Amino acid sequence: MTVRVVVDSTADIPPARARELGITVVPLLVLFGDEEFRDGVDITNEEFYRRLATSPVMPTTATPPPALFEQAFRSLIADGATGILAIHIGSELSASYSTSTTAASVVMRDTHVPIEVIDSRTVSAGFGLPAEIVAAEARQGRSLEELAAHARDLLSRIHLIAVLDTLDFLQRGGRIGRAQAMLGTLLSVKPLIEVRDSAVVPLEKVRTRSKALDRIGELIARRGELEAVAIAESDETVGKQLETVAQTFWHGPIEHFALGPVVGTHAGPGAGAIVALTRQ
Amino acid sequence: MLNGGQAGEHPETRMAGNFFSRFARQRSKHISVFNGQDLKRAVMAGHAWLEQHRDTINALNVFPVPDGDTGTNMSLTMRAATKDIADSNELAAYVIAERLSRGALMGARGNSGVILSQILRGMSQGLTGKSTFTAAEFAVALDGAAKLAYQAVIKPVEGTILTVVRESAEAAQASAARGSDMSTLFEDIVASARASVSRTPDLLPALKQAGVVDAGGQGLLMLFEGMWRYTRGESIHMTVGEAEQQVEVHKGTVAIEEDFGYEVVFLVHGENLDVASVRDTITAMGGVSTVVAGDSRLLKVHTHTPTPGKVLDYGVSLGSLQDINIENLQEQSLRYAAESALEHGRVFEAHVSAVESGGSATAVATPPVVQAPVREVGEIGVVAVAAGEGWVKVFESLGVASIVPGGQTMNPSTEELLKAAEDCPASKIILLPNNGNVVMSARQVADLTSKQICVIPTDSLPQGVSALLAFNFEGSLDENCRAMEAAIRHVQVAEITRAVRSVQIDSINVAEGDIIGLVNGHLVTADTEIESVVQEALRRMHTDEHEIITVYFGGDTSRYEAERMAQKIKEWFPSQEIEVVEGGQPYYSYVISAE
Repeated sequence: MTVRVVVDSTADIPPARARELGITVVPLLVLFGDEEFRDGVDITNEEFYRRLATSPVMPTTATPPPALFEQAFRSLIADGATGILAIHIGSELSASYSTSTTAASVVMRDTHVPIEVIDSRTVSAGFGLPAEIVAAEARQGRSLEELAAHARDLLSRIHLIAVLDTLDFLQRGGRIGRAQAMLGTLLSVKPLIEVRDSAVVPLEKVRTRSKALDRIGELIARRGELEAVAIAESDETVGKQLETVAQTFWHGPIEHFALGPVVGTHAGPGAGAIVALTRQ
Repeated sequence: MLNGGQAGEHPETRMAGNFFSRFARQRSKHISVFNGQDLKRAVMAGHAWLEQHRDTINALNVFPVPDGDTGTNMSLTMRAATKDIADSNELAAYVIAERLSRGALMGARGNSGVILSQILRGMSQGLTGKSTFTAAEFAVALDGAAKLAYQAVIKPVEGTILTVVRESAEAAQASAARGSDMSTLFEDIVASARASVSRTPDLLPALKQAGVVDAGGQGLLMLFEGMWRYTRGESIHMTVGEAEQQVEVHKGTVAIEEDFGYEVVFLVHGENLDVASVRDTITAMGGVSTVVAGDSRLLKVHTHTPTPGKVLDYGVSLGSLQDINIENLQEQSLRYAAESALEHGRVFEAHVSAVESGGSATAVATPPVVQAPVREVGEIGVVAVAAGEGWVKVFESLGVASIVPGGQTMNPSTEELLKAAEDCPASKIILLPNNGNVVMSARQVADLTSKQICVIPTDSLPQGVSALLAFNFEGSLDENCRAMEAAIRHVQVAEITRAVRSVQIDSINVAEGDIIGLVNGHLVTADTEIESVVQEALRRMHTDEHEIITVYFGGDTSRYEAERMAQKIKEWFPSQEIEVVEGGQPYYSYVISAE
């Protein structure tokens, strides 16, 4: 029994860890005008954020054609996979899930290898962390059904709360959802948002960055008894600040995820999130 | 002069003054019981006396800031209290007392107004079921009133209106025990209240430093004194004009000033409306006691004028008018005067220079509640009090459901706040008073509506902003109230204005006209240069320990001036983020927050 795990690049799993856990990452696309980059393949995070700050054109994102997912699935099957678990960014935030579903049905018809495609209803480490957990279990020989069920269970217990420097990028990318309620503020504020059920949900507005970071910690800590904590960061500084915050309520290991170019296009510079897996 | 018809109906009004004096002396010996009409007239006389001293009471501010309004708040609260009794012929004292209590509760403005409303409520409770009452019964009621007043305040402070009402009640009990009649009772109450007011600086060091007595206590004294003068058979003119500061009681006369025949109140909706120029124009047209409040889009105008048509024409030239209310003061004055004359056999003279009689001050204008554009407010709606166009926009942008204009210049009444809460399309309401003097009236709203109300005790506009920012879209009412209350503690607020009098407080010498800086409500600096004041105020609020400075510039300050000030602040505090926002607040050149 060899089940392999596939995610799209918005899981923000660092390449080294993906390799180590045997996770296949399908890159989404970032475009600066006519220039197209495969997320995490053709452009590094540092390069992306540098361009985001200086480029005269704002980046946009796109889902790759179904062929790219097909290719990923077929190459895993050729490698000996007897089942594939594909986990994707929330289906209302991107077309990744539906494209993958289309690709999976084609591949299954041809190969008869079962492929389970899951809509994570979240983003970044929100499904990157569960994907890592089930990938490790896959290596211990668990079945696709077990792994898919566990992935769904983990996703139901995931909390992702983020601070943004501004809502401008979310608004420009149309991923604003209910966070619309936060628009139009005459004062500069740091919005706190939650990604939940495939939507960006507004929580609070905080005037200063340090209070915003502390507040994320307070809100996460209140979500219940924790099983795992991860941080998704746009740069190292934010990552360190969030780690300090997380350590006030969590004493276990903390995994870091880098908010990559596709998520960064919508979150903007300076964004950071704490992701927590609760016991219940 | 009186018109012939009115005077003709009451020929006794032509009698000479010395007759009245003799009558008054005799009469004061005989009042041992009050009925509803006696109570009504006494309270209205008290209101008139209070109204006459309004500006003097307004000036009794601890800090020499230009927006002192205790006199105005207490007067307007009494106006609302007497609104429903002015034309009443009710003889039962308890009915009149109940109406006073209810009117005051709805119309309470400012903390002093709320305490005053509790005093009237306590008196009403003490008079329950009594068609008439004696001095002893009144003394008991006043004792209950004092107790209720203390309960209305979370942390009662001595040297305030509370001390004055308590000591007055004690004096009333003692006086009644000696067998006093009504006139002697009130004489004793007034003597005690006066002594009590004069002791307030000994009890409250802030008053002593500022060289003033407590404004609320003084207001209560004026109310009692007006009532006492009524028991002596005097009548009191309600002078509202600023020229009539000097108070003179004309025994046996009821004042009528034919020049100011109509009270005109209306709202104007328009563009670029200017409070000062509208007030000046109406005053130039002969309007007296003109009050104009609001912002560039909505103004509330209140004036007394012999030519209401002219004022309304002018109003129409500004924009669209709403809630127009015109009352004939003269007619009311005459009616009240005639009633008084009939009742007391008073001499009725018609040449005295005063403006309104007690009976006419009943117009309480419809509260101008600005409904923000309807937005998704969800289950919880936020109602905020704000003055200044910029502030209104800031609060709207932060998602408040409705804004009640007022705060620094005009404290909204409990009724205005209640209406905004009732009109808000949400069943749970968070109220942001945004001014220390509005907190108590906001708290009263909870008892008057079926909606769930939570008051966040914001005592400045920046605190209101901090509270709103902490609003969590997903949270319950309780969670939000806790979070918002916690959030307001993290903001430091400096207010920059001009001193209205010279004073020395905490070894700070203030000359009238100086620029003064207050930090979190306390005077910290004074100078002739605004830059030095801003710098010192920012230093005193430990700005270097905060991350972001927000400069809200007032109606008298241009954006250009504010940007230049921000540049200076950047030089003083280079590592802080600085934001300049139009506040448009009256009186205060700058309101600056650090957080």
